[in-house]
Amino acid sequence: MKKLSTTLALAFAFIFSAFCSDPAYENAMKKQVNAMKTIRTLEESQAVTNAFLRIAEAKPEEWLPLYYAAYLQTTAAFRFDVSKDQYLDQAMALVEKAEKIAVDNSEITAMKGYVVMGKISIDPASRGQSMSPQAMQLFGKAINLDRENPRALMLMSQMEQGMARFFGSGPEKACGLARNALDLYAKEETKVGEDYILPTWGKGQAEQVAGACK
Amino acid sequence: MKIRLILFLYFFLSQTFVFAQSILSGAVLDEKSKPLPGVNVYIKGSFDGGSSDSNGAFRFETSESGKQMLIFSMLGFESQELEVELSGSELKLPSLQLREEFNELNTVTISAGAMEASDEKKSVILRPLDIVTTPSANGDIIGAFQTLPGTSTVGNDGRLFVRGGDASEVGIYIDGLKVANSYGTTAANVPTRNRFNPNLFKGTFFSTGGYSAEYGQALSSALAMNTKDVAARSQGDLSVLSVGAGYSHTLASDKQSISLSGNILDLAPYQSLVKQNFEWERAPHGWDLELAAQSKLKKGGLLKVLARTEAGAMELWQAMPGIDGKGVLVNLKNSYSYAQTNWRKAYEQGWTLFAGASYSHNRDQVSYDSVAVDRRNDLSHFKFTAVKDFSGRLSAKSGAELFAHSYSEKLVRSELSRSFDDRESYLFTEWDWYLSRKFVLRGGLRGGYSSLAEKSWLDPRASLAYQVSENGTLSLAAGSFHQLPVDNFRVLNPNLQNSQAKHLILNYLLQAEGITFRAETFYKSYEDLVLFEGNPQSPSLLQNGGEGYAKGFDVFFRDRKSLKNTDYWITYSFVDSKRSYHQYVTQVQPDFAPKHNFSVVVKHFVSSLKSQIGASFSFNDGYAYTNPNLSGEMNSKTQAYQNLSLSWSYLPKPNLIIHGAVTNVLGADNIFGYTYTARPDEVGHYASLPIQQSAPRFIVLGVFLTLSKDKNANMLNNL
Repeated sequence: MKKLSTTLALAFAFIFSAFCSDPAYENAMKKQVNAMKTIRTLEESQAVTNAFLRIAEAKPEEWLPLYYAAYLQTTAAFRFDVSKDQYLDQAMALVEKAEKIAVDNSEITAMKGYVVMGKISIDPASRGQSMSPQAMQLFGKAINLDRENPRALMLMSQMEQGMARFFGSGPEKACGLARNALDLYAKEETKVGEDYILPTWGKGQAEQVAGACK
Repeated sequence: MKIRLILFLYFFLSQTFVFAQSILSGAVLDEKSKPLPGVNVYIKGSFDGGSSDSNGAFRFETSESGKQMLIFSMLGFESQELEVELSGSELKLPSLQLREEFNELNTVTISAGAMEASDEKKSVILRPLDIVTTPSANGDIIGAFQTLPGTSTVGNDGRLFVRGGDASEVGIYIDGLKVANSYGTTAANVPTRNRFNPNLFKGTFFSTGGYSAEYGQALSSALAMNTKDVAARSQGDLSVLSVGAGYSHTLASDKQSISLSGNILDLAPYQSLVKQNFEWERAPHGWDLELAAQSKLKKGGLLKVLARTEAGAMELWQAMPGIDGKGVLVNLKNSYSYAQTNWRKAYEQGWTLFAGASYSHNRDQVSYDSVAVDRRNDLSHFKFTAVKDFSGRLSAKSGAELFAHSYSEKLVRSELSRSFDDRESYLFTEWDWYLSRKFVLRGGLRGGYSSLAEKSWLDPRASLAYQVSENGTLSLAAGSFHQLPVDNFRVLNPNLQNSQAKHLILNYLLQAEGITFRAETFYKSYEDLVLFEGNPQSPSLLQNGGEGYAKGFDVFFRDRKSLKNTDYWITYSFVDSKRSYHQYVTQVQPDFAPKHNFSVVVKHFVSSLKSQIGASFSFNDGYAYTNPNLSGEMNSKTQAYQNLSLSWSYLPKPNLIIHGAVTNVLGADNIFGYTYTARPDEVGHYASLPIQQSAPRFIVLGVFLTLSKDKNANMLNNL
């Protein structure tokens, strides 16, 4: 009897530890997620990207560090004077690695679309035709996977805004999407606490799209 | 008590153990011993690490201890490992150098002879979209390539002619698999088009010489078209043109897609409105059905299927010199099928495997006056290739190919027939060796055997490229190329052997943001070309033995940045070509090889009109022909050829395009040569007729509508 209870206790302890995430990982992530908010130079961006890559290396079962590394490479492609195609290709490789860890994840799918959108923006005249449907499909899939994901909506609104500008059509679709995204951002903010390490970025971009609407 | 003491000591010691921090510092340099910022330096299996700063220096603390593996990694560089012993104090490491990885982006590309159309690759000359939007091309892939260096426009033929070679010297491939009869069958002097729709392809590789050992049976040029991968969304595409209509439907999911399309074409209504130079009994008409499917396989790898079937016909009078009246009635029926499937997968350790099979079937039923001929051609191609990247610096591509080819022709009324069967097999291997990022050597060897010719042969090929400046590359290519004669010659003399060409090419390519400049000079020799007696319609005594050469240079300039919303390219090709071949006993300039060839294409996007306006202009100095009233062969030249074409594409909505194009706007009366009577008249004069264009101008109007009802579109409307 005593033996059984010990076994049970051990089993529960094991299950508990398996479900409860690793505090060292959480702390390391928290530190970098905070550091991410203050990036001003390419060097700082690279340092935080590297930290995420280190976490990814040590915790190969986690998708989030790869996701953030991809996010940083994508934003670096446009913030700093670097080879845009090269940075976006690296971001794509990281997204694809993350995809293998977490299949059908809304955030990763949206990020993939974000990278594709970045690739289009480098040469919209020749890449737009073949790659725009791909980006739209990814944003659509991301929305389907998680209807509460504001980033999927925000990115789709940016894409719609870009297409509307290119074709000179009305901004209604982009505006509607951006407003919906802002509602979801507000909803997301109520969940965000000090220990929150999941993605929260993109509100400013949604406001920018919405700002262009009357 | 004792146990408590041990426990106490254990915890005490282990705590100190954990809190013993080591500090690691050092510097990372690149191959040139310059500081390398952004390198990720960390202890394997831990979160502890740091990044090198702008001085290449790094410094970080770690609570790990003992023997640990320190990793230096950076995207685009080869990672390095270093074993360190951590003892709780500061450890200063000697500076370390990282080597840059060799990849497609940072290494030189061999560009001799090669021109790529792609959205992604760097050595791109054309974009896939350019093929559709070049005004003179009218949506024909070949038409767009005729504005590139090394080609000449032969307006009464429509096929691709490269550097003094005839149209049969261009090998056409889809996903690496041979396409036989890729041009629509046509009557003499009625220009043809390529059968395949440019929208099928995501990229094209066009070589005007010195190409890879992967391609054979082409003396002058290889045109390799690569089909699209899995489609992103389901959609329907409707097109209505002044000469026909078509619909294509695509169903797509994450992992696979399939599209089915059908088109009908009939020039009769158009020809009843616009006056033609030719006397048509029945204008060209036809239909086609096409299926394309792509599937991403579970364990990686991509499977593709492409199938096409079509039929077409035309009937017209061909005027004869010296005879009044309509001339000779020519009737032509064609049916064609092409199917292929291929599989490609990349494995770990740098292996990529490819396997594919294709089948082409063509049947022509031609009647010329009272003579009716039934021709059939069947070609199967099986191919397997393996690519191995040994490191970034050395890679090899090897493969095996098998062709089964049968051809027959029959005189319908007399039941006389002749045919041949051939089995060809090939092995090839090609090695790329990067001595540095700026210097690459390529060596290849292709061996072949034909059962009909009972002969085997070897083709060695080599090329190299050297990056001379930040954006400039110099390439050199040389090689040997064999090709068996065309079907209608081999069926008359099955003992005909390969013709042979040797290429030597020097290329300079400059690519900066939005600007491409390309200059190339070449020498090509020909041996064992087919000679015969009589005329091309009824040759006799066919044998190998003709020879000749082609030499010249071409320049290409493309600019997409200097003028706002404007993209233009200018091409000039000079080719000096002479050969003894067919009925020509002496070395003469062939009728398909004008010396000076010039073309300009300009596209301008007008946002306020939501329109793209395009213009293209082609010019050459005229075609050689033989005037029997003078002495010698190819003793005359036609007037210069010119063609100005304009197009207007209007995009009122993202899914709607209205397109109009006019070729030869100025109505230049281009002459491609003259036909003469077989015998002189009573005063010893040969009467002649000019070979004209089928009409002064060609006008096409079309509406293209894309209907997308996928989940995105629906969902967007529901939000």
